[in-house]
Amino acid sequence: MKRAFLILGLLVPVLAAASLQFGVHYTSPAEVWRALTVGGDDQAALIVTTLRVPRTIIAVLVGAGLGLSGLLMQTVTRNPLAEPGLLGINAGAAFAAVLMVTLLGIEAPLPLTLAACAGALTTATLIYCMAWLGNDSASPLHLLLAGLVMMALLTSGVQVALVSSERAMEELLFWLSGAFTNGQVALLLPAALIMGTIAACCVFSSRLLDVLTADDATAGALGVPVVAARGTAFAAAAILAGISVALAGSVNFVGLAAPHLARRLGARSHIRLIPLSMLAGASLALAADIASRFLIYPAQAPVGAVLAMIGVPVLLMLLRRKGTAAA
Amino acid sequence: MTGVTVIAEPRPKTRNGTALLIGLAVVLLLSALLGLGIGSSSMTLERLLLAVIGQGAQTDELIIWTLRAPRVLLSGLAGMTLALAGLLLQRATRNPLAAPSVLGITDGAALGAVGFLFLFSNESNSLTVSIYWQPLAAACGAAVFAVLVAVLAKGAARGPVSLILHGFALGKLAQAGVTMLMIVGPVYRANQAATWLAGSVHQARWIDVAIISVLLAAIVPVVLLLARRMDQLLLDDASAEASGLPVMQTQALLLALAVVLTAAAVSFVGAIGFVGLIAPHAARLLLGTRALPVMIGTAFIGAVLVVLADVVVRYLFAPFEVPTGAVTALIGAPYFLYILFRSGRAHA
Repeated sequence: MKRAFLILGLLVPVLAAASLQFGVHYTSPAEVWRALTVGGDDQAALIVTTLRVPRTIIAVLVGAGLGLSGLLMQTVTRNPLAEPGLLGINAGAAFAAVLMVTLLGIEAPLPLTLAACAGALTTATLIYCMAWLGNDSASPLHLLLAGLVMMALLTSGVQVALVSSERAMEELLFWLSGAFTNGQVALLLPAALIMGTIAACCVFSSRLLDVLTADDATAGALGVPVVAARGTAFAAAAILAGISVALAGSVNFVGLAAPHLARRLGARSHIRLIPLSMLAGASLALAADIASRFLIYPAQAPVGAVLAMIGVPVLLMLLRRKGTAAA
Repeated sequence: MTGVTVIAEPRPKTRNGTALLIGLAVVLLLSALLGLGIGSSSMTLERLLLAVIGQGAQTDELIIWTLRAPRVLLSGLAGMTLALAGLLLQRATRNPLAAPSVLGITDGAALGAVGFLFLFSNESNSLTVSIYWQPLAAACGAAVFAVLVAVLAKGAARGPVSLILHGFALGKLAQAGVTMLMIVGPVYRANQAATWLAGSVHQARWIDVAIISVLLAAIVPVVLLLARRMDQLLLDDASAEASGLPVMQTQALLLALAVVLTAAAVSFVGAIGFVGLIAPHAARLLLGTRALPVMIGTAFIGAVLVVLADVVVRYLFAPFEVPTGAVTALIGAPYFLYILFRSGRAHA
């Protein structure tokens, strides 16, 4: 277990450093260091400070946030396939934000974030009702399928809204498949604070989350207010997804893969799962972002497409596993 | 898990199929007239009919015959094609949730088509080979993804939902590929991108109509000849074999035909989704389970759906070219959820 923390704990700074160095223009470690400490207005320094630093911070924040969000959703629905992207919650957040931009013409970061969170919470409520409706008959697969269809629906909504206001393809791709490049710098600090607070609350109530992995009757017998606890945790997961969408559009699959990676590394209780999922999510997002700069060099691939290429095999592997399919 | 198959049970009731089919044909005709009449300059019925028979004003005839008629015809033909593909898939997999879009086949075809544009374009973004090879490329993409879904789903947990999830997952992979190719290839604006990701008929030309008609004319007779086999396939494997049906072979044949049909539609109109899901369901609701009437009904309903979706696009969102597929998804996705949860309850 210590080794897992060590590996991921080292991987994140290493990947972050790589993310500051590599791109269309290679920047040497010495130049990066100079840009970070002294600044300067030559090209290399400007690329590092104005482009790569925000991009790296966004990747870390969004990756960690979605990793935690996915973990919470998997715990609450007791469904190993739950994750904000595939359940359509990211798409709901994006749809709300896009409506805000196209219908009301508001593009300021704060209202946009609030809209994204509201959209995420609304979609999450719908999905949660579906999970609850189908509780006795539907398998984990039913919930995922419902989520995927919800995602198709909301994605269409985003397309209609953006195309009917003549937006560029970049904007469509940002909202539909995510990008760490055009986030608002002003949002970074508040987003980090909110995500950090939610993460701290989760660590603080990790015993409660452990109990929620049991069925309702068992959890109830242990004295847990089951409905309230599940609702709160799911709402927290939705808010994390909403903030991530405001920062980077709908980034899918991180929330699915990160908690599984954490479990693979041996974590079972939430006190370990929470930090490991966040670290795994951040590493995954950073790695995908770095890969996206070179995959179709010199053009940049959308990071969502790269993550789909990592995430789809993970999903197929999980579908293959016994136990997932059992009703 | 088996609950989903409950709704595929044969309906004992016989209905007056011929009358209903004639009714559907009339609805299709009316939708087509609506499609011809609505647009940036709306026409009265009288002007419209005069223009259609060649007695109207010159501008009216120009608008109808060069702009709207190919668009309406292409919508109708693409709708028919996708709906039939959906019916074949639902029968082949005995899965009421199956459709070309949910099984990732439309996305595979789109990947083939966009890959073709990417591979055979020169620096100035013009094609180096004839565009008529594009349907073949789309068919290759569709076939690859259909086989992948079939093979992977076979190895995993069985059950209707598992199959669909494999389709969705691989469809996401194909979409990622389409996105990637769009960035390096010759696509610049959101509406063009949306064409390939969600499907659109706004660039309809007569030549497209001609090609898709020829393809349909070649495939539809084969599909009609398979009607009896499709009825036999409603039985379980053992009974179907006992009634003299080579089950595996029939399923493979239906799947192959569905792939070709999907590719034919997608290479002209992009990845329009959910038509192949709704149309067969609506047809079965109206016409019962016998394959022949259901097939004809499915084709009519599919055509009506896409023609009307295009009317919605032109009427509500003009002058913007909102993808037709976004409108069909707005109708189709809630219906899919309804089937999913109704069947879940029926099982409980």
